[in-house]
Amino acid sequence: MTTATHGAPAEDTATSLPRLLPRSGQQPEDWHAHTARHGRLPYRDRPGDLVLDLSAAGLTGRGGAAFPAHRKLSAVLDAADKRRRPPVVIANGAESEPASDKDATLLWLAPHLVLDGLQLAAEAVGADAAILYTHADRRNDVGRRLRQAIAERVAVRVDRVPVRLAEAPPRFLSGQETALVGHLAGGPAIPTFMPPRITERGLAGAPTLVQNAETLAHVALIARHGPRWFRQVGTRAEPGSMLCTIRRADGTPRVAEIPLGMPLKSLIASPDGQSAGPDRAVLIGGYHGTWVSAADAVRLTLDNASLAAVGARVGAGILITPPPDRCGLIETAAAVRYLALESAGQCGPCLNGLPRIAAALTEIAVGRQRHQTLADLERWAGLVTGRGACHHPDGTARFVRSALVTFAAEIDLHRRGRCSGTSKKPFLPIPRDSARTEEDWM
Amino acid sequence: MLRDVSGINTSTALWYASRATGVVALLLMTAVLLLGLLVTRQGRLPGLPRFAVTGLHRNLSLIAVVFVVLHVLTAVADSYVNIPLTAAVVPLTSPYERLWLGLGAVSLDITIAVVVTSLLRRHLSRRLWRGVHLLAYASWPVAWVHSVFSSGDLRHGGLFVLAVACAVVVVIAVLWRLAAAGRDVPRAERVGNLMSALHHPMSALHHHRTPDATQNWAPERTGRP
Repeated sequence: MTTATHGAPAEDTATSLPRLLPRSGQQPEDWHAHTARHGRLPYRDRPGDLVLDLSAAGLTGRGGAAFPAHRKLSAVLDAADKRRRPPVVIANGAESEPASDKDATLLWLAPHLVLDGLQLAAEAVGADAAILYTHADRRNDVGRRLRQAIAERVAVRVDRVPVRLAEAPPRFLSGQETALVGHLAGGPAIPTFMPPRITERGLAGAPTLVQNAETLAHVALIARHGPRWFRQVGTRAEPGSMLCTIRRADGTPRVAEIPLGMPLKSLIASPDGQSAGPDRAVLIGGYHGTWVSAADAVRLTLDNASLAAVGARVGAGILITPPPDRCGLIETAAAVRYLALESAGQCGPCLNGLPRIAAALTEIAVGRQRHQTLADLERWAGLVTGRGACHHPDGTARFVRSALVTFAAEIDLHRRGRCSGTSKKPFLPIPRDSARTEEDWM
Repeated sequence: MLRDVSGINTSTALWYASRATGVVALLLMTAVLLLGLLVTRQGRLPGLPRFAVTGLHRNLSLIAVVFVVLHVLTAVADSYVNIPLTAAVVPLTSPYERLWLGLGAVSLDITIAVVVTSLLRRHLSRRLWRGVHLLAYASWPVAWVHSVFSSGDLRHGGLFVLAVACAVVVVIAVLWRLAAAGRDVPRAERVGNLMSALHHPMSALHHHRTPDATQNWAPERTGRP
């Protein structure tokens, strides 16, 4: 529901965006182009100084959880102080959500902005090591591009903390913080139980700061322009802009920088100006996200305060509007099957629950549901929630429940042996390979 | 003042107390080991939830430690034979039954290490805790040999049967544990196996025959020493 307080973004949006991506378009920025656009790196020469700016800016994590960035930095600073141990800072570019493309795009087009943020965050918490963690071959060989960027910075001696590039295994969970730390420590990328929190005791026992790559790019700009500048776009409660991956019925994914509080109507409309029909649905937040009917979506804005009305969250900024010839149930069943296969297989509820949920959803999608299938699905979705080491079962259950509500009419059609989808071609991007051995998690 | 009615008097009371607490400690240690094996398999006892098995394992181990301490103190206090207090923790320093009491000291040292690391578990790495905890498997047989050979009590009669029964039960339980581990599906293959079983073309039709697995949905949070 759009309200005056949460709704309208600040006025000068048009003049100040995009902030992160180069305005020139698709040309990757080298060190020269980067400094020409943003100027030098504003080191503070005082640990902790930047934390106040981030707090005033109200920057939240752009990896999906929207956790306040300054609180993570404070926690790491405190732990480092208490234990007299220099922290490690990690830029998390392991964008494992198949439908998302924003971190890969950012790292490809403006790697130096992320690396600036990594240095500034490292300085702010007094870290002595920095790691850039990413899927190296996800897009246009981004790994080679990042190695080049790091080499450029070494040549001009701009970095105060050495940066190491680390590759994430192609697993959905490999970007989860504890999985990331486990993988960098030489183990499989599987989530572990907390406590201890990684801000206290993470990589090799050091206090560890993990921030999403885009979050660090915002850090680099807040350090340059200040919190007031950051708040010029976005809403009062959720300031700033965020990179969104927008997948519409008719085209390839588009990554755009959107001010928080932007009306969804303009984002889900087709380029020809047509909005998504009222009988259609929008997936907000990706495969751990929420299906929302297009009729509801056009009244919402892109911020958590507004999306909460339909039980949705901004997440990592994924907005998907499938074409009208696809069946939402078939699409969801395929995605949930993928999510089940990506379970680490270590927590009982996830290991036993997700495959059963996926199977039941498939029954409905192929029109073979029995009379208790729906009730089973509801019960299982409740049983897996909140009972894993990570939020994989919770996110999957949310996704499934929203599909059951949003596609209720379609479920009735399927019960009568019909389906509104006319094309069997899968629309949601689903990686083909799943893990078979422990090696696949390394 | 105890009267000399049943062979117990002031000079023999400590001796009897030491033997009795020793036997009880052996029984408790056996129970703790069996419960520990059950915990590593996420096993259950009839009528108890899983976390209660873990709690029982922990609490019985602390009670066992109390009995071991009583066993040691009464043995040291007993003036009939000369056992210095240091011999309880430093192996092979007892003038009396040097080897067999030395084994008792070894077992006690391991027990202290296992209990202390478990009490400090939150502050230790999992690997360190687990490494020390695994030593409990060495501690039990050492304690058993100490029990049987330190004195003649456990070598005949009912106590002999008890000692042998403890050993047999522990050997069977450890073999069960190893066999169960051998049947474990590697973590990375678990989901794939379940998925191919559930998504088999026919399984969607025969779904109602698959047993309800929800009773096995407890998260596997427990340690696996």
